[in-house]
Amino acid sequence: MNFILLMALREIRASWKRLLFFFICIAIGVGSIVALRSVIQNVRGALATETRTLIASDILLSSNTPMPEDVRALVAREARAGRVAETTEAVEIATMVRPGDGRPVARMVELRAVQAAFPFYGTLTLRDGTYSHARLTGGGALVRPELLAQLDLRVGDRILIGTKPFEIRGVIASEPGRSLGAFSLGPRVLVDLADLQSTGLLSFGSRANFQLLLRAPEPTVRQLGATLTDALANKFVRSRGYWQNADRIGEDLTRAENYLSLVGLVILILGGIGVSSVTRVFVQQKVRSIAILKCLGGTSRRVLAIYMAQVIALGAAGSALGVALAGAVIASVPSFVGSLTGTLQIDYGLSASAVEQGLAIGVLVSLLFSVVPLLEVRLVKPSLLLRNDVPPLGRIDWLKWGVTAAVAASLVGVAAWQAGSLRVGLMLSAGFVATAVVLHCAGIALIWAVQPLRFSRSFALRQAVLHVVRPGNQTRVILLAVGLGSFFILGVRALQADLLRDFAVQIGPTAPDMFLIDIQPAQRDALSAYLDSQNGDAPPPNTIPVLRARVTGVKGKDVTLDSYEQVRGRSGLSREFTITYRPELERNEKVIAGEWWDPRTPGAEPEVSIEEGFLRNTRLNVGDLMSFDVLGRQITARVASIRRVDWQDFRSGGFMFVFRPGVFDAAPHTFIASFKGPGDPDTRARMQAGLVAQFPNVSVIDLREILQTISGIVNNVTTAVTVVGSLVLLSGALILVGAVSMTKFRRVYEAAILKTLGASGRLIAAMLVLEYGVLGAIAGTVGALGAIALSWAVATYALELAWSPALALTIGGIVVTSIFVAVVGVVASWDVLRHKPLSTLRAE
Amino acid sequence: MIELRSVSKTVQSGDHPLTILHPLDYTIAAGQFVAIVGPSGSGKSTLLGLLAGLDAPSTGSIVIDGTDITKLGEDALAKLRGEKIGFVFQFFHLVPSLTAVENISVPMEIAGRRDAMARARQLIAEVGLADRAHHYPSQLSGGEQQRIAIARALANDPPIVLADEPTGNLDSGTGRIILDLLLNVRRTRGATLVLVTHDAELASLADTRLTLRDGRQVETRVGAAS
Repeated sequence: MNFILLMALREIRASWKRLLFFFICIAIGVGSIVALRSVIQNVRGALATETRTLIASDILLSSNTPMPEDVRALVAREARAGRVAETTEAVEIATMVRPGDGRPVARMVELRAVQAAFPFYGTLTLRDGTYSHARLTGGGALVRPELLAQLDLRVGDRILIGTKPFEIRGVIASEPGRSLGAFSLGPRVLVDLADLQSTGLLSFGSRANFQLLLRAPEPTVRQLGATLTDALANKFVRSRGYWQNADRIGEDLTRAENYLSLVGLVILILGGIGVSSVTRVFVQQKVRSIAILKCLGGTSRRVLAIYMAQVIALGAAGSALGVALAGAVIASVPSFVGSLTGTLQIDYGLSASAVEQGLAIGVLVSLLFSVVPLLEVRLVKPSLLLRNDVPPLGRIDWLKWGVTAAVAASLVGVAAWQAGSLRVGLMLSAGFVATAVVLHCAGIALIWAVQPLRFSRSFALRQAVLHVVRPGNQTRVILLAVGLGSFFILGVRALQADLLRDFAVQIGPTAPDMFLIDIQPAQRDALSAYLDSQNGDAPPPNTIPVLRARVTGVKGKDVTLDSYEQVRGRSGLSREFTITYRPELERNEKVIAGEWWDPRTPGAEPEVSIEEGFLRNTRLNVGDLMSFDVLGRQITARVASIRRVDWQDFRSGGFMFVFRPGVFDAAPHTFIASFKGPGDPDTRARMQAGLVAQFPNVSVIDLREILQTISGIVNNVTTAVTVVGSLVLLSGALILVGAVSMTKFRRVYEAAILKTLGASGRLIAAMLVLEYGVLGAIAGTVGALGAIALSWAVATYALELAWSPALALTIGGIVVTSIFVAVVGVVASWDVLRHKPLSTLRAE
Repeated sequence: MIELRSVSKTVQSGDHPLTILHPLDYTIAAGQFVAIVGPSGSGKSTLLGLLAGLDAPSTGSIVIDGTDITKLGEDALAKLRGEKIGFVFQFFHLVPSLTAVENISVPMEIAGRRDAMARARQLIAEVGLADRAHHYPSQLSGGEQQRIAIARALANDPPIVLADEPTGNLDSGTGRIILDLLLNVRRTRGATLVLVTHDAELASLADTRLTLRDGRQVETRVGAAS
């Protein structure tokens, strides 16, 4: 044993420079896994201690209509029984806010109206002093700093919410109950619940969320939660306990952790491929030493053990370096994500379990990827010290194939372990193999395609192409790694271009780009008149009546759902739908079954047209009956037709249910409107402010602002995937450096011969540049082809976007990859240019 | 004692089998100094490799101290080499990643000797290279490398020392030093010495001279030393 360790240490001492990249490959992969897992575990740890803070209570009841009296009565009963200690109410609503000084600007905000007891858990932190409800009473408001910046306001200024003026009495630094990283329509504004009624925002049909927050004694809180969930099953009031919050977020985070770790694993596997190729070349270089050791009495097993020990030591060192890198990255996390996590106090640091996993996987992957090349050690005969022409092994090496199969199975196991799912592990492995095979085949095809260059007049180009195809040049490995990196980056960039182009098309020069919601019937005409007066020659607004309804019963040939429980049991059926009524089909709709009603004649009974997507849950047919709860009123309608809606064309609106006019004519409902706003930002802002001033309850959604937000999200996602792609590309560069350094002895010798034969240093340099340039161009083309296929498939089938090849991006990607590989290859081969031919030939 | 019984070696040369050593019967007594001579390609090195168990004969058997080594597996052969055979190559074959003294200690470390490093230092001093102990092979001259290789061959006090043209790659002065070292080994340790050489003068010092040509034994002559 001592001999094995001693020899392993001596080998590392002699070869560590050549194997440097071995542990950098492992380090990057391990670093990615440890960093991603640690950050998510840190977040999970913080959430575990602050789950009550997230909903500011033990149990949160919420409804889109004012809390029904029977629910209040139920809570009161539970309070009398000692299971509810305290309650408080809150209302959340997205609305517009304007400065009180009459300036023509307005912003959408997320308003929350609370009572004195809010919050039961967590602390509302203000920038200027401590929070007390007294700051809100009598027309006070607390706002997020973003709103102050957006509307150029200061503490003490007045703002108008609906029709009521409020005084800004403080700036919110952090607020309990604000979801982690949640999408928000605007900055938070906090007011007293008592003041909300007088704003006029709670008019009929408004999109408010009414909340009842409960504080409950711990011993019976879960029992209370179960009781409320059962009792509220038919009420469409949602009950959420803090523990469910923790469970849900916990599940999300576990999923996120596992998927992100797979990203790290992909990088680690690429590193492993590099490790494998380095080990193979390393063994080739060590053949003579192995033969000497065998000649001196070393058995194959002991010699193999020396190199295994070396790999384990390098894997462990690489993993340790990876952990150190992860530590450095995590140390910089708070400055990046501080604003994202809002109220949550997260202590960022390496988590012990992530470090353990990283170290284990690093060593395991090192071992798995090097064991097959290391098995060659067994086949080295000591007789090669006397004679080089050792006959190759004729028979099948069953041990090698057996070990290869075991390694493949182990890698699937590692992937499944990291993904937390055997299925995902298998899918990842299959995907990786498929990608590798495709890239490999594409690489072979492209290498074949450049073969005619072997007959080029240029000596340098001829030699470069010959070098690309020569045995042992690691071309396939480099193509795989670099190709995969450019594939990731170009693929996501192409998708980003498709997405942003699609949004740009959606708000083309004539399409509506402003939407108004919560228009009361009485405001409809006045609002149209205002818009006509403000909007010049633009077409008049398109106003659409809307109501909110839930499906309460379905009576079809195949399905009969008579109760709320049954409806709830069908996934997605019980949610609240926005419905409308109209005489005509819109231009983005097509009837695919049944018939559209004749607008000139009134219907004998209520009729509804349903969107085909709804059929997935119900298998309804034309002629079946459906029951709806429309604002407490039960309506039964016959399915008159089934429509297909082109959801991409959202300007014409998309509704699951469209009713025949007549049923709701007299029912209370609101309108939404869409129109093309002024192009000039100032005029647009003035128009928005005027709208809000004249119709305070109406909310304005500016599509241009939304587009900016979406662009921001798309850019962030693109950046994230680009970082991953860059890491993959970095792995590719490392593999390239490794391959170059491992085969450099051959190049140095060849260069020495060429120099002796009269080749200048410049010619040798040109050969190197061309060789790596050609290799990079092939890798870039492989990646670009993959990226084109990926962006086409995702755009066409997943996102249903119009796809067009990003030609400039593709060509640019190939050129950049080619230059990248040429630079890395030439820099890594610097010794080839530097060595004097005589010393090299003497050494040989 | 080493006994060769109808030992031959045939290899594949392209599509045709090529016999590089025809069946040979020969016995080397313990403590004897045998020189194997012959022109290039006569099968000298092949025979030496077969004696060391570095390669397996196509036919026949080789018995060393009563053990038929042709029946041993790779690992048993390696063990046998470690215990009984010291080998000196024409091209030295030192492990390039180890220092001179480490190269000498390796066979003893493989054998599990606790005094490996101390004895390696003693051996390197015996070959006159104590001051080069921590140099790597690439930092040593050919003669120095061969002296290290001889010290390594003697590390486990093997009863048999095999040398494949040990002076063939050295100038005559250095070759003389190496030769003196090998003869001294035989004299002081009583080891069996089998040496492949082109050097007639060197061969004349052997107890017995075995001449090969085209893989066949053409002559066995008792030398001056006997």
